[in-house]
Amino acid sequence: MREKKRWNLMPYVWLLPSIALISVFVVFPIAIVFKLSFSEISKAGVVGEFIGLRNYTEAVNLPAFKTVMANTFWWVISVVGLSTLFGFAIALVLNEKFAGRKIARSILIFPWATSLVIQASVWNYIIKYEYGSLNSVLLNLGIIREAINWRSTYQIEFVWECACGIFVTVPFVAFCVLSGLQSIDRSLYESATVDGAGFLSKLIHITLPLVRPALSVSTVLNIIYVFNSFPIIFTMTKGAPANKTDTMITFLYMLSFYDRKKGPAIALSVIGFLILCLCAGIYMVTVMRKEDAA
Amino acid sequence: MKKWIATLLAAAMATTSLAGAAVSASADDPIELDVIICQYGPNTSDWFLGDGMGGSSFVEKFEEANPDIKLNLDVVSWNDVYTEVDTRIANDNAPDILNIDVFANYANEGLLLPVKDYCPEELYSDFFPSFIEQSVIDDTVWAVPDLASARALFYNADIFEEVGIEPPTTWAELEDACQAIIDYYDGEIYPWGIDMTTDEGQAAFAYYTWGNGGGFVDEDGEWALNSDENVEAINFALGLIENGYTNPNPATQTRYDLQDMFAAGKLAMVIAPNQLPTYVADKEGAINIATAGIPANEGKTGSSVGVMDRIMAFKDDSAPDQDARNEAIGRFLSFFYDPENYVGWVSMEGFLPAVNSAVESLVAEDPSFEAWLDVLGSCQFYPTAKAEWDQVKQGVIAAEQNALTGASIETELDALQEQIAG
Repeated sequence: MREKKRWNLMPYVWLLPSIALISVFVVFPIAIVFKLSFSEISKAGVVGEFIGLRNYTEAVNLPAFKTVMANTFWWVISVVGLSTLFGFAIALVLNEKFAGRKIARSILIFPWATSLVIQASVWNYIIKYEYGSLNSVLLNLGIIREAINWRSTYQIEFVWECACGIFVTVPFVAFCVLSGLQSIDRSLYESATVDGAGFLSKLIHITLPLVRPALSVSTVLNIIYVFNSFPIIFTMTKGAPANKTDTMITFLYMLSFYDRKKGPAIALSVIGFLILCLCAGIYMVTVMRKEDAA
Repeated sequence: MKKWIATLLAAAMATTSLAGAAVSASADDPIELDVIICQYGPNTSDWFLGDGMGGSSFVEKFEEANPDIKLNLDVVSWNDVYTEVDTRIANDNAPDILNIDVFANYANEGLLLPVKDYCPEELYSDFFPSFIEQSVIDDTVWAVPDLASARALFYNADIFEEVGIEPPTTWAELEDACQAIIDYYDGEIYPWGIDMTTDEGQAAFAYYTWGNGGGFVDEDGEWALNSDENVEAINFALGLIENGYTNPNPATQTRYDLQDMFAAGKLAMVIAPNQLPTYVADKEGAINIATAGIPANEGKTGSSVGVMDRIMAFKDDSAPDQDARNEAIGRFLSFFYDPENYVGWVSMEGFLPAVNSAVESLVAEDPSFEAWLDVLGSCQFYPTAKAEWDQVKQGVIAAEQNALTGASIETELDALQEQIAG
């Protein structure tokens, strides 16, 4: 009896250091941010008295709020969605046996392993109008006659930012899916082939259901990473013109440290946190329910 | 093996705690000052902390001359300094001495010490009075200038000679010059540089509105953001962009992008600080640079834009001896502004000085300084002493950027004025 009890305790003892670390470095700061979001905060950062929801109403009524929320929505949907699609396709290719597969796999990791600020700066240089490498390559190949302004409107700039986001996110998805693919028993495909299944039906009936856990993990993590991603947008446009390319994270940074509206900025970060919890929660619940049902 | 590691760890821990004890035992003696200095360039850290000050550092030399004061000096990049200072204030751990551009928020919230409390009289009278005036709120001086820079029009003399034009002094001449450059080079060279980015769009606002008799404030010092002069001035700037006289993406091309284009001979004219020649000299290729005043509207006087940074001291109610602390801060300033140290500092980064005593040696070193000092005497500064400056600065940038995407600048500035002063 005694022996059994001690064994039950052990996992918690082992978890204790992580719990302590998470409490100190994650839970505690989050609690502070929640508390701050209901307090008056001066321009220099001095914390004042409790003011209820005033920071929240101020944040929601900011003129740029709607644009920024819409941008954030499109940013997350397009980057997570498309990088999942491309990452999945690339993983399928890399799972096949071909000469140079190892090299291809190592090259794939580069965009993900490079710092985002460097990535975004490199993209800036590529699409630069004056001396951009994209223009000079196209000019030298004779595809275009004169340089094109690749950043002529803010909508296009936002598309570039999404493209850069997709580029750096694809490797992560590809590697998650690849690890899922490698765990699939080859004999399943062999028997499906014997039964006369084609590529598509093998993909739909074998591959997809079996890599779903890997895809779920990568999607949930990506929603969180991409939503919170700061460097790409801050390096490429800083939200210009007039917050039209900002997402929530860059916007609240600008709000806090450029506009010095610290209260609304903190309220926004709480709103962002809650949105993320909600998204991740809904996703996890549906995926888990499906997995249970399956 | 494990035992070894354990012993090593234990030994390390023991030494650390001993070192800690040693520090706390002797901490009573010297006064410690936390100092934050902004990173002006690659040499800043070297000068303050490395060996950039003649094989030694500012901190070493200062502590040698003032053994009873210990400096905890950090050099922080401009990108991080606001975050760092705000976080420290929020945690009740403000620096003792801070070098930064803005001061009004700190002063208005009662965080700063008045300059008179710590600045020695002799040093105080050495500052250019027009600079000191920029740091006054409610008749109290809250910060001292550490250095300044002045803006002027720089043009590529080779291009001007080739096209056969003179540097423009009025807006009409500017448009003519732009058209002439466009015609001559078939659009290959941008005649005029405009930066309406989130970094420095407020400077563009100043260049054009000050050149049209407008500006951020009226004669009484009240916000006048939507004045007719301002609307006309910004519309003029937007017209230059629309006519294709400028760099193509003014909302995202920063002054550094413009300076790079200028250095590469791709841009004919740019308004930039006095350090531009040094900046261009560091790049490849050689262009002939000449300077002129910033063009103004017909019948209006152009005005140079001065940019000034400051040094300020924060209150610290926990300091046991306030007088001793104030005196220590004063000694820091005296040492910093001592021509022997200060001249090296200012000229190292190519800035303009804030004290009279430095002028003589600077002019002796580089005669071109004299012309800049004249410019500095006549230039206008941003109204940074006003409490709303942060919002105004971001507000005019947003107004310009909205106007770039098709909004009416008049409506934008009306809304901003209403928000700030209404």
